[in-house]
Amino acid sequence: MIVDTFMELQRKSSETMAAAFHAHILEASKKYRATLFNYSRNLQKLINSTGDLNQKKLLDDHLMSLQNSELIWSLCEILFIDNHAGGLVITQLLGWIRMHFEEPDQMYRSIIVEERPEDQYKYWDCIYCLVLQGQVDEARRLLSKHSCYSTEGFQTVDNLLRRMPLLTHLSRGSSVAEFDMKWRHWREECENRLRQQEFVTNRNLSIIVQILSGDDTVFTDLKDLCQTWYHMLVSKLLYQQPTIQASDLHHHVQSCLDEYRSNNSRISEVDNILILALEFDIHQVIKDSCTLSSNWWFVAHLTDLLQHCGQLETRRLQFGSNLREFLLLEYAGTLMSHKTLWIVGIHYLDHCPEFGRRHQELYLESLPIETEMKAQKLFNICQERNMTDQAKSICKVVGMRHLKNNRLGAALSWFLKSKDVALATVLAEKFLSEYSESGRFSNLDLIDNLGSSMLLSNKLTFLGKYREFHKLFEEGDSHAAGSLLLSLLQARLAPKQFWMTLFIDVIPLLLAEEIIFNAQQTFELMHCLEELITEYRVFRRTTMTPSEEEKLSLLREALTQNLSRAIITEGTIRIGLIMNVERNILYKVFPI
Amino acid sequence: MADVRVSYVSQKINKVKWRQSKRQLSQDNQSFVTGSWDDEQNKVCLWKINKDQEAKGMEEEDFGLDEGEPNILCEAPHLGDVTGLENIGDDYIIASSSCGTVTVYSHHTNSQTLGIVHQWEKLHHHNKRPCPCTCIATQDDTVITAGEDGRINMLTMGHKGPSRVIEKGDSCTINGITFLGQSQFITVNSSGQLKSFDMRVNTDEPTQTFQVTGEMTPLQSVDRHPGQPDIVATGGQDGVLGVWDLRQGKMPLSLLEAHGSTIWEVKFHRTNPDHLFTCSEDGSVWHWDGSHVEQTSAAMVTAANLTGTGAGSGGGNFTTSQLNFNTSASVNFSNPWIATDLAKNKVNVTTLTDGVMPVNCLDIDGHNLICGTDGESIISVNFKFLR
Repeated sequence: MIVDTFMELQRKSSETMAAAFHAHILEASKKYRATLFNYSRNLQKLINSTGDLNQKKLLDDHLMSLQNSELIWSLCEILFIDNHAGGLVITQLLGWIRMHFEEPDQMYRSIIVEERPEDQYKYWDCIYCLVLQGQVDEARRLLSKHSCYSTEGFQTVDNLLRRMPLLTHLSRGSSVAEFDMKWRHWREECENRLRQQEFVTNRNLSIIVQILSGDDTVFTDLKDLCQTWYHMLVSKLLYQQPTIQASDLHHHVQSCLDEYRSNNSRISEVDNILILALEFDIHQVIKDSCTLSSNWWFVAHLTDLLQHCGQLETRRLQFGSNLREFLLLEYAGTLMSHKTLWIVGIHYLDHCPEFGRRHQELYLESLPIETEMKAQKLFNICQERNMTDQAKSICKVVGMRHLKNNRLGAALSWFLKSKDVALATVLAEKFLSEYSESGRFSNLDLIDNLGSSMLLSNKLTFLGKYREFHKLFEEGDSHAAGSLLLSLLQARLAPKQFWMTLFIDVIPLLLAEEIIFNAQQTFELMHCLEELITEYRVFRRTTMTPSEEEKLSLLREALTQNLSRAIITEGTIRIGLIMNVERNILYKVFPI
Repeated sequence: MADVRVSYVSQKINKVKWRQSKRQLSQDNQSFVTGSWDDEQNKVCLWKINKDQEAKGMEEEDFGLDEGEPNILCEAPHLGDVTGLENIGDDYIIASSSCGTVTVYSHHTNSQTLGIVHQWEKLHHHNKRPCPCTCIATQDDTVITAGEDGRINMLTMGHKGPSRVIEKGDSCTINGITFLGQSQFITVNSSGQLKSFDMRVNTDEPTQTFQVTGEMTPLQSVDRHPGQPDIVATGGQDGVLGVWDLRQGKMPLSLLEAHGSTIWEVKFHRTNPDHLFTCSEDGSVWHWDGSHVEQTSAAMVTAANLTGTGAGSGGGNFTTSQLNFNTSASVNFSNPWIATDLAKNKVNVTTLTDGVMPVNCLDIDGHNLICGTDGESIISVNFKFLR
């Protein structure tokens, strides 16, 4: 799911214009978070169902780190990605707080269904929390269940809550200034009512109105309900300065932090990252998040989003590429080392413009190839990316494995795939030597259907053509067979050590009833035979074996017979001429 | 448009197959089997698709159950990649492995477990060293397997050893195999050949070999037309869909340049064979609609009826629409796939999904198409109005 979102985003980044693209970035960020969220819920389910304590501890830690990632991510999304015109952030921040502090909602749901909610000892706490989170409607609903709801104090508070100006209504045409004015009036009224001691009889109502008028002391009193400094920050700003801009948030951090500092003097890593985010120190946020999270997933994707947003200046790192690519490479690295996820890693590397390809090449070379199917997949990956060397090496590995298992046909199919001339030649030689030894060809289904692929190597072409000769001969097309054989010799396509075999194949054609080689062709054959004998004598300095001698004399006899028959049929005039020219050869070949 | 759902399953799926059970006549109980590959521990899993009422009946906190979402019923470990997966009757599932082994599983409904019934070891090997079995096909009790060793084994359920072995079935790797009839089958290999064999003949030679002349591009997948077994579709490594008529010529009837990369599986709709489906390494799944090639009235009627049922989309309506499929198959016997020059005719091609991750397999049953991917997901497509 993650990878689909990532790929979609990268594709859109090259396709869409800047303005439209921004919407896609936000959408992608939300999708990532949704995935994170789903994953945490599934994890929670797993934790609840597992009995093993050690396992539970491990999963708990993992869940914790996921939730922290989500917390940081969503704040970053609000501050850096989803920043509206005017920079008003309070509505989104409230959403963020509600998302991560679900207790008020849960409390609300359990209390509201009670017959007398006010008897629940958390009744008022719940109302405070709802008000602190800006959930005015829910707070009013709870208030309305109170038995004294109809009294004046309750009605006043309810009225104040109802009329509380909300920034969410801003889109309906009113400007920020109008809102600000409305809000100031409203708040003044809250303060006035407090000053007039209207709620002196009911402390709880008084606290609510204190919150509404943004009284600092009441926040200090309620700090346990806020739980964390950032919850307090958002709640405070909601009632003290709702039109605050994102860039001013950090001014208010310290006072909230101080409220909690007395309990715990050290600021935790997560808090620190959140502060850095509020201070818009994006680089430091990413850097610190790297140490916080156990894998690269979180930082790599967040950085990618921020880069697309243009929030990261393209600062070059000392070690080559920019931050985004560096983190993506690291993340892809963890994927590549995974047994199944390597294929995802490859796709991530596609989007690292500087070093991605180099990394891909190295990884691809080291992936184990168990089956042809996997080899095929790796080969496709290489081909799509024009990595010829890697593609060739994959084919070589698979082909050599087949060769080792004596599966010559399968091996050849892989060498042909990568157009590996050297290895195709080796195989063709193997096929030929197999034939010389046994007199039969194996893997005929492949060799007979090589088609144009045989042109890859000379040896392979010879193999294919030689096999064609056999087929022609078997089919009785002696003329075509004869001229094919002759052309194999003439074009020197046949390897020398194979010539003797070819000459032996010639004998039946020479002895055939009808004349297959004419005089000219017979002379050509003689030429070739002479060349072979010279080679034996001069270059190899070996004598022929008795059986070879025997074959040779048989061949000579057949050649002369054929020649005489050809001469007779072709007429007499040209012969004298030819005889003069070719006499020398005749004498050399047939020293009678 | 068709309804597409993607579910993430944390395993790369190499094979998928609908379970067809006579006992589960109602379409409410849809289940299918998957086989994974390239994992530390590969698995054969049996899945069930949640239906509306079940999802509603569940506790609210049990958010895993979502309508139409597949859920694992049971799973069994599998040694090596699952390279082939078939049903044998209602009770057995047979899986082939990249370790050369073929395993028969049985689904114990009482305990909801998958148990191993029988295992043929080292069916495929190089001098006793195991080598991947690449494909499998079944016909009643008979199973045929083929592998990278070029061997073809014939197995019968209940027998220990293979009943027949064709040692030299192919010089190259056999990538796909399928039955044509009771005793005939065809194979496709990595040098681009399609071979037909007849088990009644005593030789190991194929009865016929087909090939695009001069072309050595591997064929990866094969399926035969359910009504006319002589019509065969193949998927090539280069993404080309081939349609062959085994009665005539050694060449394919038509070659259609389709996907950008290897077609891993090609499948005719069993009861409405004017529809063909392909999935590919390039991440796409295509629906080939040949019903417009010849505009017979029968085809039109079927389309209209189906649209009607699609609107209702209830399980009960399905049987009627399936009947329509059948009538269309029998009434409308002429075959769009043998139309000469298919490309110029109106074969409607629809891209069903187009992701990044390779789609390795698909299976189609009635309205329901299911695919498995390398992106660790299962894609299910519901054709509310399959034309």
